[in-house]
Amino acid sequence: MKQLIRLTVNDRDYEVAVEPNTTLVDLLRTQLGLTGTKKGCDLGDCGACTVLLDGKAVNSCLVLAVQAGGRTVQTIEGLETTQGLHPLQQAFIEKGAIQCGFCSSGMILSAKELLERTPNPGEPEIRRAISGNLCRCTGYQKIIEAIKDAAR
Amino acid sequence: MILPKFEFHEPTSISDACELMAHYRGKARPLAGGTDLLVNMKKKVLSPERLVSLGRIPELSQLERSNGTLWIGAGVAVSAIAASATVDRDVPALGQSARALGTPLIRNLATIGGNIGSARPAADLPPALMVYEAELVLRSTAGERRLPIGEFFKGPGLTVAREDELITAVVIRVPEGCAGAGYLNLGVRKAQDCNIVNVAAFLELDGRAELIRAARVALGSVGPTPLRSPSAEAVLIGQKPTEALFDLAADAARRDCSPILDFRGSAEYRRDMVGVLTRRTLAMALSDARSRN
Repeated sequence: MKQLIRLTVNDRDYEVAVEPNTTLVDLLRTQLGLTGTKKGCDLGDCGACTVLLDGKAVNSCLVLAVQAGGRTVQTIEGLETTQGLHPLQQAFIEKGAIQCGFCSSGMILSAKELLERTPNPGEPEIRRAISGNLCRCTGYQKIIEAIKDAAR
Repeated sequence: MILPKFEFHEPTSISDACELMAHYRGKARPLAGGTDLLVNMKKKVLSPERLVSLGRIPELSQLERSNGTLWIGAGVAVSAIAASATVDRDVPALGQSARALGTPLIRNLATIGGNIGSARPAADLPPALMVYEAELVLRSTAGERRLPIGEFFKGPGLTVAREDELITAVVIRVPEGCAGAGYLNLGVRKAQDCNIVNVAAFLELDGRAELIRAARVALGSVGPTPLRSPSAEAVLIGQKPTEALFDLAADAARRDCSPILDFRGSAEYRRDMVGVLTRRTLAMALSDARSRN
């Protein structure tokens, strides 16, 4: 049976009816049309579906939509402001940290949680923070450089 | 991957959760962080009729120290344990094991109760909890009982918890005096990996003579459940902590385990690594103990 939930996504309040077996990534992508969040393995291995749930980076494929009721979600679509792209997004572009782009949303959100906790992280901390996000294109080096650059 | 259909409950108190577990006895499973259960449901390994989510029960998320005891609610996230200064000061091997679990994304969801309740032989937290001789608090409508974590596991995914019983907390008596511990895990990669071997060790030294008064070694991933190594512990007790002694204990630990062979490693390799990690975690425990003298 569908349940009615309220949640805040990228500062906007939503009221939606969801089946208990709908995951947060499917709610975001199919019901709310926020396809910036990618769905990769759907098993919590790849990190493509990373979103911030109450400020914490999580695999949205391992969260039920109903569990997100009453909570705050931030997706990649919520990073750009009227001032332009988020510094992390800008740095990813400038440092060549985006190739196919499939991991980028998740990478950027994992990096955002890190920078909010640790504004000036060292390289080992950056590597640890993105260790749940797989990238098959870049070899990670340019992503790490982009995060360092955004921290400056 | 589509999750099988289920009915969903979100109680807001432990007693309501127990009522639901008792009412739907055998048909309902508790949902904690979901990082194990939801994956198994997507893979159709499990398809419970009902899920009782524990995520909205504030009583389960307390982490506090009082009267020499550390109380960790079953719903405390692994990332909170990994970041806790109290944990790092009082029970550092638990902090080390929390930081070794999964990935930052998984640690933000996974809970200590889930890591214990899912009873995976390669789980990170149980060996550390076993060397601290942690107790589990189990609740059902019939009441509450406490159980040493060493008596909890029966086999892969199997525990002595009754089907309507919930783990509500983990209680650790904070070691006093000259005692220390360490945890190490070995995988193919450093994150997002199933352990090949994981080991925790604990040593308590007699202050002046520096003889080992108490020793505990727990081995993960090398048997159907995490196991203590009684032979290694017997080798250590009453002796002076030296490298030669730790080598003997490592050999004893290798004999106490029963590893399987799979694509992650052969049984022989696992057994050898039990020796290496036992020696190294004993060295960590010794240095932790000496730093508290």
